[in-house]
Amino acid sequence: MQLLIQSIITGILLGGLYAAIGVGMSIIFGIMGLTNIAHGNLMILSAFFVLIFSTAMGVSLITSILIAIVLMVIIGFLFQKFLVNAVIDKGDTPALLVTFGLSIIIQNILEIIFGADARSIRSSFATVNVVDTKYFSISGAYLTNFIVAILVIVALTLIFNKTDIGRAIRATSDNTRAAELMGVHTKFIFAVAMAIAMVTACIAGVLVGNTFVFYPYSGTQYLIIAFGVVVIGGMGSIVGTLLGGMILGLAQLLGAYFFGTGNQILSGYIFMLIVLTIKPDGLLSNKKRA
Amino acid sequence: MSIIEAKLNGRTSQIAIAKKIVAAIILITMGTLPFWGSGYLTNVFLLVFLYMSIGMMWNLLSGYAGLTSLGQQAFIGIGGYSVAVLTQVYKMSLIWGFVVGAVVGVVFALVISMPIFKMNGAYFTIGTWIIAEALYIFFVKWKFVNYGIGYPITAAYDIPMWGLYLASFAVGIGSIVIVALLLKSRLGLTLMAMRDDSGAAEVRGVKLYRTKLICYLIAAFWVTITGCLLFLNQAYIVPSSAFTIDWTIACVFIVIIGGIGTIEGPIVGAVIYVLLRQILYGFPGISNIILGIIAIVIIIAAPKGIMGYLNNKFNLDIFSIRRKIKK
Repeated sequence: MQLLIQSIITGILLGGLYAAIGVGMSIIFGIMGLTNIAHGNLMILSAFFVLIFSTAMGVSLITSILIAIVLMVIIGFLFQKFLVNAVIDKGDTPALLVTFGLSIIIQNILEIIFGADARSIRSSFATVNVVDTKYFSISGAYLTNFIVAILVIVALTLIFNKTDIGRAIRATSDNTRAAELMGVHTKFIFAVAMAIAMVTACIAGVLVGNTFVFYPYSGTQYLIIAFGVVVIGGMGSIVGTLLGGMILGLAQLLGAYFFGTGNQILSGYIFMLIVLTIKPDGLLSNKKRA
Repeated sequence: MSIIEAKLNGRTSQIAIAKKIVAAIILITMGTLPFWGSGYLTNVFLLVFLYMSIGMMWNLLSGYAGLTSLGQQAFIGIGGYSVAVLTQVYKMSLIWGFVVGAVVGVVFALVISMPIFKMNGAYFTIGTWIIAEALYIFFVKWKFVNYGIGYPITAAYDIPMWGLYLASFAVGIGSIVIVALLLKSRLGLTLMAMRDDSGAAEVRGVKLYRTKLICYLIAAFWVTITGCLLFLNQAYIVPSSAFTIDWTIACVFIVIIGGIGTIEGPIVGAVIYVLLRQILYGFPGISNIILGIIAIVIIIAAPKGIMGYLNNKFNLDIFSIRRKIKK
């Protein structure tokens, strides 16, 4: 019973982290219909940036994260402007394969520079149990993940609903051509959206690095998680990613509870496939993109 | 028949004969390679033919049937493990490894086609990848296949180099023949109608689901067979090498660089891929980075790849799949 309660709580909190991982991918898919295969690798790249700044260059963790966010915004903007925008009008597959190429490049560069060792940017706070009762305990890292994820999602919702650029992004998302005709520079909006997605990827990368160890090739694993979150929550729905993350987190932890700890990841994958089969557009998907 | 037409016909038939002669020379040279070439050269071309085969099948799926899969490694792993388990555990002869592998591969494809064929576009792409990843995790925890430790494939030492080469040669050339025949058949016409306008094709009575499924099963069958040979060549199998995404990365590079949606593309792509890997043998990471950059540049600058570009520029038509109206 104790273990079950712990599993459910950990699953929901882990879901927060998963939502942070998936939200950037969801934005990009919702706005330009692009599946960014490099999303996981860009996340891990951010974690390595923070690692370099905070250990090798001796900058404080917060400053390192801010520098990494700025770097990722620039990378995301340039990547979209010069590579993805060049092929985005030619259908889904070319753009998807460009991001696939980028993911291979990032992963191999990281492997050459950092080798295959496990890395972590764990703060001293991460492993402390902030809540410790008879039935369950919550570690600092998991609680931070959950709170940060909610903050990210609230911030994104506010940006999309309350600001001019947010309105332009939503207009582009609803109907790219109509937005273009109304004077929205849609290719620029795409680049801004990618930059925003990279901020979330960077935050997610830091959270992952604070919670688990990571390797240069960890990107794939988190891409699949991001994809699962987005599939379950519905592509393009920001609030949906929070729900999707929690459902996926619960599926993994309950899978581990019922079928043994070794099957945690496998239960997550199988659950994703079941959702994909029964509801190919996601549980909360409110619109269809052709 | 006018004189000009007669002359044109004469010229095309001369070109046709020249093409056949060149093809025969290439086939004979390549088919006898292990008997005159060095061991190194034999090994390089063995890989070219195997990679050509998986590239050709990926091209059939992505370039013609609109099924961009990132999970082809599932079938390569199934092929490799069939050979390993049957020859190592059950001490059966090698041929059974191929037979059982092919059957398991096709049945597996049929089973997973039920869920993944409901997914469209990017969902299909990632769905196939998740299945391959799930299979990897499953094999690591599966006692029957010796967990993550894997097997040495000692049967590989019983066959001579030329035998393995000729089998690879047959698989490589076979993949070209299969795709070319398929595209010339009625199914090929269906595929092209589907590619050009799937809605219109469906209204005209094209069975989209069935057509895609047939392509998927053919690719599964051939990739599994190729997987058997790939792991006979490596003589050792572990889940991380069997189900690695690297196999599909290779397919993507081969097809994109050579030319997606052309038959010649994967042939050229496979040669470039294997040569680049050989040149940068000591630096596997660097060769992947270079391939990644080349692939992005080609997608942006020449979306039809090297052969698509050459075909357009010089009006080549090496593997003609065009249909001529009979007079």
